[in-house]
Amino acid sequence: MQEQQTDYALITAVLEGNTAVYADLVKRHQRFVFTMAMRFAKNREDAEEIAQDCFVKAYKALGTFQHTSKFSTWLYTIAYTTAMTFLRKKKLSTLSLNDDENTVQIENHISDYNANGIEKKSGYAYLSQAIELLLPDDAMIITLFYMGEQSLEEIAQTMHMESKTIKVKLHRARTRLKEKLQYLLKDEVKELI
Amino acid sequence: MKTIDEEIWDYLDGGLTADQKREIAAKINSDPAYQQVYTELQEIQQLMKGAELEEPSMSFTRNVMDQVSLEIAPIALKTKVSKTIIYSIAAFFLLSIMAIMVYTIANSTLSDESFKVPDLKLPVNTQEFITPTSIRIFFFVDIVLALIYLDSFLRRKKA
Repeated sequence: MQEQQTDYALITAVLEGNTAVYADLVKRHQRFVFTMAMRFAKNREDAEEIAQDCFVKAYKALGTFQHTSKFSTWLYTIAYTTAMTFLRKKKLSTLSLNDDENTVQIENHISDYNANGIEKKSGYAYLSQAIELLLPDDAMIITLFYMGEQSLEEIAQTMHMESKTIKVKLHRARTRLKEKLQYLLKDEVKELI
Repeated sequence: MKTIDEEIWDYLDGGLTADQKREIAAKINSDPAYQQVYTELQEIQQLMKGAELEEPSMSFTRNVMDQVSLEIAPIALKTKVSKTIIYSIAAFFLLSIMAIMVYTIANSTLSDESFKVPDLKLPVNTQEFITPTSIRIFFFVDIVLALIYLDSFLRRKKA
């Protein structure tokens, strides 16, 4: 029945001394935190390091959690800050194709993709690849909005920005994602020919 | 001016008013350009919503718990100070100071010319220490301290 406990109940239990319960909180959120970390790190080893660091920081600061927001939003804020610090330290090169000066003339192949009947599973592979090509912040916003089901206000809190800014950034991120997908699918069609 | 993409994304996000929704829906039904963008973006949205999260290694939770076991167990901050209490204390002191000031002013005779500011008799002659050189030294030390602080502040920001 432990799995059905709310985040708040688990946090209370940890703060009351039952620290082993923290493992349940980790299990519950580890996939999303790890996915967030992957948006910045680009390789699994670094992403695991970021995600683990995030959970240790969250544990140490658990007593300061005010219950004024969702635990997930609070945790994602720590994950985002940890990932940003990591990125600054490692100075990772982002493989974005997003240079405005080198905008690729992209043809519309989303319809081709439908018409060719490429399986849905491949679609997810392309999506994953396209997200990897985005700038970390763009990838983060898309991840939080669609996979984390966070509202614009919650994303704003996580990324320390205004919700209006997040809305604009989300629009731009989606446009860039669409461009990347079209670019990748164009290559796929060429390969098929 | 919104692009077709922006209009369609807003429509798909569901944050529009009923009138705006009707307007966009009508455009999608009548305009082939809107229809094409709608089909594309809907497909992308479905992909994003259905995408699976990354899976960390099997030992992830154990690794975290191993690290956590080395930390001091967190405790709830029981000394949460209510803002009302802080404001009440501040108001009490402000009112007390104001009351003392009003009472003092009301009972003082400002026209009394015999009033003199009392001389402060210190055991040392302060005039001996306040010289142009000592003032320069004082400002020099201040500037050095300010520069050290600025340096540490910028280093923190850079890190």
